[in-house]
Amino acid sequence: MMEWLIEEILAKYNYWVSIILMLIGFYAMIAKGNLIKKVIGLSIFQTAIFLFYISLGDIVGGTEPIVIEGYKGIYVNPLPHVLILTAIVVAVATLAVALALVINMYEEYGTIEEEEIIEKERELGV
Amino acid sequence: MIPSLDLVLLFLIVAIAIAAITVRDLLSAIMLLCAYSFLMAMVWVEMHSVDVAFTEAAVGAGASTAFLIAALSRTVRWEKK
Amino acid sequence: MSTEKSEVGEGEERAGDVIVETMSRLMVPFIQLFALYVIIHGAGGPGGGFQGGVIFGASFVLLVIAFGIVNAGDRFPEGANTAFMSLGVYIYAGVGLLCIILSLGAAQFLNYGFIPLTTHFEENRALGMDLVEIGIGITVMAVITSIFFNLAWKREPEEGGGEKE
Repeated sequence: MMEWLIEEILAKYNYWVSIILMLIGFYAMIAKGNLIKKVIGLSIFQTAIFLFYISLGDIVGGTEPIVIEGYKGIYVNPLPHVLILTAIVVAVATLAVALALVINMYEEYGTIEEEEIIEKERELGV
Repeated sequence: MIPSLDLVLLFLIVAIAIAAITVRDLLSAIMLLCAYSFLMAMVWVEMHSVDVAFTEAAVGAGASTAFLIAALSRTVRWEKK
Repeated sequence: MSTEKSEVGEGEERAGDVIVETMSRLMVPFIQLFALYVIIHGAGGPGGGFQGGVIFGASFVLLVIAFGIVNAGDRFPEGANTAFMSLGVYIYAGVGLLCIILSLGAAQFLNYGFIPLTTHFEENRALGMDLVEIGIGITVMAVITSIFFNLAWKREPEEGGGEKE
């Protein structure tokens, strides 16, 4: 029982940290009222998913996936790296679009707090 | 993979992530996010994915921080409670 | 409701700090050299067009932060940024189409070996990859600079208002 616990639960701590980070980002996206805080939560959420993918590709005792002449050992899996490289590019584009929306909302309503924006919309009768 | 270094870095990452979403000063939150990205890049070097680590250090810690500060200069700095 | 403005105001004339200006003027050439190194070494190691382009754009962002948005904004017109963005895409697509044209339709799009830069097929392939990376780097550099300008700087209302009417 104890061995099973150590091998299956504790030795895979990367995945647990990834889940914790995902929940931290999700909490910030839902519960925080400030729009910039929501964007920061979105960034943390995305990075947690990157951590999950990179942990999937890692091998104990492996080396970087760059070909070395005469090397007989194992390399780590390079496929998740390529997927995450694309995802980082998408992440920075998402961030730029989100910030542009935040700036436009500030110029429209004069605040970046979610509750005040909802109050103003109610006053306007939307 | 070196488990002790990995554990220390991941613990610091979780602590910085919690600090980044609790702090009231948004400029501090952005700087903590920058530190978070650099630590994440270190974790990825240590997991043998140098390409992703390089991209994260350039994009996550450089360009994203610059964009967030640029957006902050057009809005307000302090979060209201 | 208090709409307090932050310190980093938009477009106000401020005397720059001597230390910040000198250090950024010293650092910018080295950052750009490192960006070119990253772009050229992208085929055989970590790095590549996107990362090098981001670092090259970051050097411009450093200049903008050090010298003030208005002084730097006059030197980076929006039209030049758009031209650089298109130029990078044209280099990428042009190299890809050159492969098809020079092999008379036998090779695929971006099959670099058929560009006759040298006599060896493999060297052609490596050089073609570098050309494509340079195109990607130019586009990413222009896009990063343009995004930063549009986020940080509210342009003069007379331009936008005049066009809308």
